[in-house]
Amino acid sequence: MEAKYDFEKKYREQILQCSRCGFCQSVCPVYGATLRPALNARGKMLLLKEVMDGKIELGKELIDSLFQCTTCASCANNCPSGVNVPEIIKQVRKDMVNIGSCHPAFAGMNEVLQKATNIYAEDELPDFDRKRDQKAAYVYFIGCVGAYREDEATEGALDLLDRLSVDYTLISEVCCSGVLEDVGYSLNPKLASQNLERIFATGAKTVITGCPYCYRTFTQRQEYDELRKRGITVLHISQFLKDLDFGVTTDKKVTYHDPCDLGRHCGIYEEPRATIRKIAPDFVEMQHHHADSLCCGAGGGVRGAYAKNSLAMARRRLKEAEDTGAEILLTECNSCVHNLANAKLRKQNIKIYNTTAFINELMHRKAKDK
Amino acid sequence: MEIQGYTLPDELYYEENHYWVKEEGDLLVMGMDDFAQKMAGEIVFVQLPEEGKELTAGKKFAKIESGKWLGKVFAPVNGELAAVNEELETNPGLINSDCYGKGWIYKIKPSDKGEVANLIHGKEAVEKWVLAEIEKYAKE
Repeated sequence: MEAKYDFEKKYREQILQCSRCGFCQSVCPVYGATLRPALNARGKMLLLKEVMDGKIELGKELIDSLFQCTTCASCANNCPSGVNVPEIIKQVRKDMVNIGSCHPAFAGMNEVLQKATNIYAEDELPDFDRKRDQKAAYVYFIGCVGAYREDEATEGALDLLDRLSVDYTLISEVCCSGVLEDVGYSLNPKLASQNLERIFATGAKTVITGCPYCYRTFTQRQEYDELRKRGITVLHISQFLKDLDFGVTTDKKVTYHDPCDLGRHCGIYEEPRATIRKIAPDFVEMQHHHADSLCCGAGGGVRGAYAKNSLAMARRRLKEAEDTGAEILLTECNSCVHNLANAKLRKQNIKIYNTTAFINELMHRKAKDK
Repeated sequence: MEIQGYTLPDELYYEENHYWVKEEGDLLVMGMDDFAQKMAGEIVFVQLPEEGKELTAGKKFAKIESGKWLGKVFAPVNGELAAVNEELETNPGLINSDCYGKGWIYKIKPSDKGEVANLIHGKEAVEKWVLAEIEKYAKE
């Protein structure tokens, strides 16, 4: 029988390879928050097998299972059968969009990114009182969450670059649009071209970004190949900072949350830790860290489409952070900061920062005390 | 009063970004009005700053978020934050289900309670304002 959908054509063997062992269940953030077996990777693979066998239809009834995945890749990382669940899910979502069975939040996001310059349809890109579209050695690319939702975290990162006398410019950036690939659509090439033109116009040889998702898109998507062809290096800010000396330390106990997009998806684990160890001698790991890190719940469009469950996932992660006895939780992603900070209850004393904003605060305090 | 499907109780005072205010002893209680909660959709996060935070009339002091919308909350009067509705931490949807009751958000100790007179109040003024707002958002 000929395969009806592209997911089957591309991933039939992988889906059948799932041995239903359930190793994914213990690490799936969606399962952890909901305790619903249909929502973890094994449940999703079983549903897809039934679709391939013609027992159930791929349709609206499956939206809440197949669209409720943060694409954190924790399941793939722990799968003894080597099933690459996030890639399968991304393809299934495209198939569902093609048959008109998409989650309305994601259809809305795609619509927004055909007209607007950012995922929130905000009219004006904040300039953070910095120069924009100038000649400079570095471009600092903020990303949608940093620009429109976590302005304080972005201020902290930019203040730190200023303290370090980095010759950078912001650009009239638009959404990298990589997220569309995760939610059933395709990256918008017009937006990619606009970003490329604006980066090239600055003459910069390096793009630094504080957003792991933008980093991933710039370094892995072919729509941004021109950056590589022109010899422009893209760095996540944790890579840029790792060899620098800041001259400040904290005596507080600090722990670190690996963003999925930076860790499992890009393999960047040690650079953030190299910096944190310099500034925080009392650094502790959480129970789940590096490739085994628990997702904060924000990825794959889940924060937008399933906010309650997304925040419940963040609360589980916060509990792990608190269990270490840390007073400070650092991470390297505006989406993670946003979701974790939104999930934090008033009675919880742990403070959440991007590493850049925390270093900036330490340097600011030191300068003030002098 | 009902204006084109939006409920706006007559006795309340309204800040122009669609937050209502009412007197409660020495304090002012504040919440989101029905027009705003309907426009925003399901509220998923409400920032609840620490009590004692100083508030300056017209200045932003918190954020409220629904799916893809982020709202800034502006102080309706000068004063300080006296209390917050902690139930909203885990159940922000109370703003949608009961915006004038269980979904109240903040209590403010005003420097001068008389400042409420600067807010929109009275049937005629509220009706004029809300009709203009409905027209404005219909165009967007």
